[in-house]
Amino acid sequence: MKRSQIAAVVMAAAITLMTGCADKTERIDINNDEGAQVMGLDYRDFNQAAADAVQSMLKSGALDKKSGDRYVLAISRITNDTMQHIDTDQLIKKIRIELLRSGKVVVTTAVGMDGAEDKMAKEARKLREDAEFNQRTVQEEGQLIAPDMSLSGKIIQRNVKMDDGKQQVEYYFMLSLTEIKTGLAWWEGETVIGKRGSGKSVSW
Amino acid sequence: MKIYSLIFALLLIFGGCADNSSYVKVVDSSIDRDIDIEDIKERVREDGLKEVQVMGENDTDEYMLLRYRVVWQDKDGFDVPSISSTWRDFPVHKNSNFTINIIAPNKEAQKYQLFINRQGE
Repeated sequence: MKRSQIAAVVMAAAITLMTGCADKTERIDINNDEGAQVMGLDYRDFNQAAADAVQSMLKSGALDKKSGDRYVLAISRITNDTMQHIDTDQLIKKIRIELLRSGKVVVTTAVGMDGAEDKMAKEARKLREDAEFNQRTVQEEGQLIAPDMSLSGKIIQRNVKMDDGKQQVEYYFMLSLTEIKTGLAWWEGETVIGKRGSGKSVSW
Repeated sequence: MKIYSLIFALLLIFGGCADNSSYVKVVDSSIDRDIDIEDIKERVREDGLKEVQVMGENDTDEYMLLRYRVVWQDKDGFDVPSISSTWRDFPVHKNSNFTINIIAPNKEAQKYQLFINRQGE
């Protein structure tokens, strides 16, 4: 057997071994996920926190408008004060969807802490000076609806080293619903999710 | 005697027509003897949302972390999507009562099926 043939056989065997040992990728069953917990935050934690917040908000009656109409809700700053790179929309979007479904709230995307979430509401109004557009189809002034309520919050992470070398990570989901007219918080909620694992685990 | 028979017959007729599409079920056979569902209270709040309170008891000397999920349906039996249809944990202390209190996601949600399961089953 030539040297090049031996090398080819060794390489083929190595590839077979490596691919044979590789873990298969599986799709998560998000409806009944029995997978092991992770030290960081995953979608199960966001589901739990969002469900807790919505149930608490609905039970409190803070969203019950006397006239039976819906409140206009603006999303304020949701601070990620954890060591993880998470988009706070993972939490807030679930809450928004459920509140919208409740029929008690409609969320404005025309007002936000860093400008409008959907800038098109303002952008489309620039067509007022454009002779190419039928001006009857352009929005009139004074049509945007200002928010009544604001949802703000913070996600906090606290790491605690245990005596046995394990690590405990506590996550606090804190949310406030403020009436913009008075600046009073009509509802506040907190969900705590704790995890304990190896001290070598990294939670970011 | 006739009047009692008539009342009994009426009760049977109306009982047979009662809406039994809402229920609470312990779906894990390993705990269905340990967990007693003792009472289910329902009310429609002023805002039109249905509120359900399930009261039960853990008959064992063991703390359990259980979970529940609720499937909501409208008056015609069509599913009403809700975040509460995913499993949520709740603690059940040994030899203690427990309460699950849930609110419908909107006014259309009138019927419910609440499932209780053991964590990791």
